[in-house]
Amino acid sequence: MKQEIRITAYKCKACGQIHYPYHDRCLACKKRDFEQIKPEGDAHLLAYTQIFNLPWGFDVRFLVIGVVEFANGIKSMGQIQVDSLEKLKTGMSLKPYWGPVRVEAEEPVYGLVLRPS
Amino acid sequence: MRDVAIIGVGMIPFGRRDEDSLLDMLAYASLDALDDAGMSEKGVDAVYVANMGAGILQHQTSVASALVDRLSLQPAAADTIENGPASGASAIKNGVLAVASGYYDTVLVAGGEKMREVVGWKATDFVATMTHPEVEYPYGITLPGMAGMFTRLYMEKYGLTQEQLIAVAIKNQKMGALNPYAHVNMVITREGIYESPDAAVNNPVAADPLRFYDMCPVSDGAAAVILCPLEKAREISRKIPVLIAGFGQATDTHTLQEREDPTDLKAVTLAAEQAFRMANLKPKDVDVAELHDAFTILEVAESEHVGFFKKGEGGKAAEKGETSINGKIPINVSGGLKSRGHPVGATGVAQVVEIVFQLRHELVPKRQVKDAKVGFTLNFGGFGNNVVAFVLRRSE
Ligand SMILES: [Zn+2]
Repeated sequence: MKQEIRITAYKCKACGQIHYPYHDRCLACKKRDFEQIKPEGDAHLLAYTQIFNLPWGFDVRFLVIGVVEFANGIKSMGQIQVDSLEKLKTGMSLKPYWGPVRVEAEEPVYGLVLRPS
Repeated sequence: MRDVAIIGVGMIPFGRRDEDSLLDMLAYASLDALDDAGMSEKGVDAVYVANMGAGILQHQTSVASALVDRLSLQPAAADTIENGPASGASAIKNGVLAVASGYYDTVLVAGGEKMREVVGWKATDFVATMTHPEVEYPYGITLPGMAGMFTRLYMEKYGLTQEQLIAVAIKNQKMGALNPYAHVNMVITREGIYESPDAAVNNPVAADPLRFYDMCPVSDGAAAVILCPLEKAREISRKIPVLIAGFGQATDTHTLQEREDPTDLKAVTLAAEQAFRMANLKPKDVDVAELHDAFTILEVAESEHVGFFKKGEGGKAAEKGETSINGKIPINVSGGLKSRGHPVGATGVAQVVEIVFQLRHELVPKRQVKDAKVGFTLNFGGFGNNVVAFVLRRSE
């Protein structure tokens, strides 16, 4: 079953600018009417890093985190499931899914997770 | 608007200060500044305190009111200013506006942060609270992580190299070893952190491609300045007044992902442009600069964005020694955040205090930029979403 990526982005009805996260007024034209859109297609890797000093809520040795752009222009941060950065290259295509990204009050928090295709 | 001068400065050595509370540190730096200005037993009209995290780290709020009470400065007006790691410069800017407007004559600005009393992951988490609460923070991203992503983009776009970043780290730790206020007093070598077989152990990856020695330490510390109208500076203080010749502040999107070009730190460029325009000076007129090198990449990127070098040239310039004390534009002669440390609320004030030392020609020869007349500071909030710059000038 294809899992829904629960990201809602906001496309300005006046100028087409895509926003994620939400802004009350368009970054470009300052108008306030938005169409809600969902990510579509594969995600292309724009930037990434591997971090070893983690904040609260993570019981792992490191995290690989990146920013991706979906085929329809939505950009989002996500966690990348790889054991080594050697498997990553800027511009590559990653498979997105919605999965647990951290634990808060013993409950999983869900977010964007990415895997090499 | 009236011209505003700095007539007194104070600072305590940064580092791990287990014996001092946040208020102790703010009070010591403030008393030092009052003494320096020749105002040991005088009052001030207003107090601005820069602090980012007492509410989280010390479970303490209303820090400015508490500092007034410690220093018996009642009934001075008092406000706490929070602008993340740029709180210090924001507080000075607010003090400058208050004096320039003609409303207040004497203003104390103190910045302080006590970060070492919590364990490492709590300090990391505290700093990460300035990331976007919905689309960044939940993923575990940290400020070093943001800097790591930014560094890779910069390497890909401009050909920045690890060796260039190492040159920044070595320079700043060399200078920090000469600075009695610095947290880190250890000189490092290229062999030790890059070339030897031990380098991977000594200098592990922290936020790829950034390594341990690309990062500033987590520190406690405080710094303070006294402001007054330039026209009254000589009446109040015997110190050489340092003029706030220009200031600038600009913001950018909260997340890097919404910037058209994530390697373009627009708020840095705009804040610096405003400051230089107001001062009627240009980047080439600056004799000494303190940039916000929380990560080595930031010193390089900022040195380009404020106009000292063309885009893509900052790393090469650092490698060639152009940013060292005897270079074309000495940057972070204090050792920068990299060595002095980065108690977030204190940093912007500490940068200005350092430049005042430089412009008053008070430093030991090894640390003094000869005949320095114009200084520049850049305090960087969030990941470049709120940036404050100053141009300072020695007033003869
Ligand atoms: Zn629009």
